[in-house]
Amino acid sequence: MTSELAEKYARDERQPEREPEVRITGLMVQYYHVCKRELWFMSRGIDIDRETTNIQRGTHIDETSYQNERHSFMINNRIQLDVLGSGDIMEVKASSRLEEPARMQLLFYLWFLQEIYGIEKDGILAYPTERKRETITLNSSTIEKVESTITGILKVVDLDTPPELEKKAYCDSCLYQDICWM
Amino acid sequence: MTKPNHHIFADGELSRNEGTLRIDTLDGETEYLPIESIDTLYLHGQIDFNTRALGLLNEHNVPLHIFGWKDYYRGSYLPKRGQVSGNTVVEQVRAYDNLDRRLQIGQTIIEASIHNMRANLRYYNDRQGNFSTELEDLEELKNSAAGTTDINELRSVEGRARKTYYGCFDRILRSPFTLTQRKYNPPTNEANAVISFLNGMVYTTSVSAIRKTALDPTVGFVHEPGERRFTLSLDIADIFKPILADRLLFRLVNRKQLSIDDFEEELEGCLLDEKGRMTVLEEFEETLDKTIDHPRLNRKVSFKTLVQTDVYSLKKHVLTDEPYHATERWW
Repeated sequence: MTSELAEKYARDERQPEREPEVRITGLMVQYYHVCKRELWFMSRGIDIDRETTNIQRGTHIDETSYQNERHSFMINNRIQLDVLGSGDIMEVKASSRLEEPARMQLLFYLWFLQEIYGIEKDGILAYPTERKRETITLNSSTIEKVESTITGILKVVDLDTPPELEKKAYCDSCLYQDICWM
Repeated sequence: MTKPNHHIFADGELSRNEGTLRIDTLDGETEYLPIESIDTLYLHGQIDFNTRALGLLNEHNVPLHIFGWKDYYRGSYLPKRGQVSGNTVVEQVRAYDNLDRRLQIGQTIIEASIHNMRANLRYYNDRQGNFSTELEDLEELKNSAAGTTDINELRSVEGRARKTYYGCFDRILRSPFTLTQRKYNPPTNEANAVISFLNGMVYTTSVSAIRKTALDPTVGFVHEPGERRFTLSLDIADIFKPILADRLLFRLVNRKQLSIDDFEEELEGCLLDEKGRMTVLEEFEETLDKTIDHPRLNRKVSFKTLVQTDVYSLKKHVLTDEPYHATERWW
């Protein structure tokens, strides 16, 4: 494996009686690639306004798209993924605006299944409102990306203070905006 | 995006009708309130309600503030916390328990509070009177707040500032309104009655805002946690009273929206009558919805959101040590 941190993380995950110190979720993977400050806030339980329209829209799209094709599974009480009838893992997103973070989230699920449980699957990234799909597969280069993401996440979460404020294109639509900039 | 508050003045019964709130008034009228469109619910009349109605408020995270006879604040029913974070509470108490950190937060609150008092006086300076002496005194008090070494000293600076500030009210208020002296429990004259009523509204607005975070409302920084009320809400309310309450009082009185007839004399006290309370509340709600450009957020925010972001800022400070920006009027 590419780093000791990622290796230790995988080892801890494989032993159910040994919880890893940081329980990485798909959302954390996404945040890591969107904004590390957001990831840090989230890791500290800093709450956001769950009533915003963006969240409601995302939840609605997730809850109403391809419902009869996919089944949800919860792994280790925190990794929630949808399996299609074909056996592929599906991740549904409201928009492809943050494509790379969404891709990394799905790759993380595939990596998790393969590394921790020895189950090999392919993934499908779906944007129902855009009628767009993308097939995602694990290979040596994507595995490396997931593992460096895991290392990165562990390092960000370990910081005593949040990463510095930095204006990004998507700050205006971020749920943490009011906390971040105030 | 903030939702409006709802005020119920009628007497009657509040119940749940499937997913909607239903109000049956004693006058025989029935009204339905879509729960999704309520930020906070206020009861001003004599209302019966049951656990099923509270359950609906609970499910939709709607706080309920209850006012009793003559609109004295009676208390709040707060929905079960959606946001729990042991981490936040631990850090909040740590900040409270560390004299330096507590004092620093307290100073930020009082400095903002004095700043906002000054902003009101500046507006009325030369319009209704000359307040240059008081403006200077307040400036000095604001500066001395930063140099205080304990909370008692800070509180006495705050007390002196408020006294200086209230001392200007008689020159701002159109006669026959006078404040003479700030008195509450019960308020002794008309201006005191409006201030008490509006301060109560600012307080409940702060309670609602704090509820949207995982901060514990009982642990304040300027006020001692031993007091009966939510002391953190009292702290936050101090920042916003000049902005949301006092300025509104001046406007209502000077534009003659309120007259001496809108009050009732009670035993040793003076209170707004029902028509007066309606007038004040309508304007208060309008003020909450008013928007201004926010330089840090780069968008327009309502005054109500401003209270919320102030609490967010405090919460972030407690958790991360990034600076707390208590709201100082910039517009």
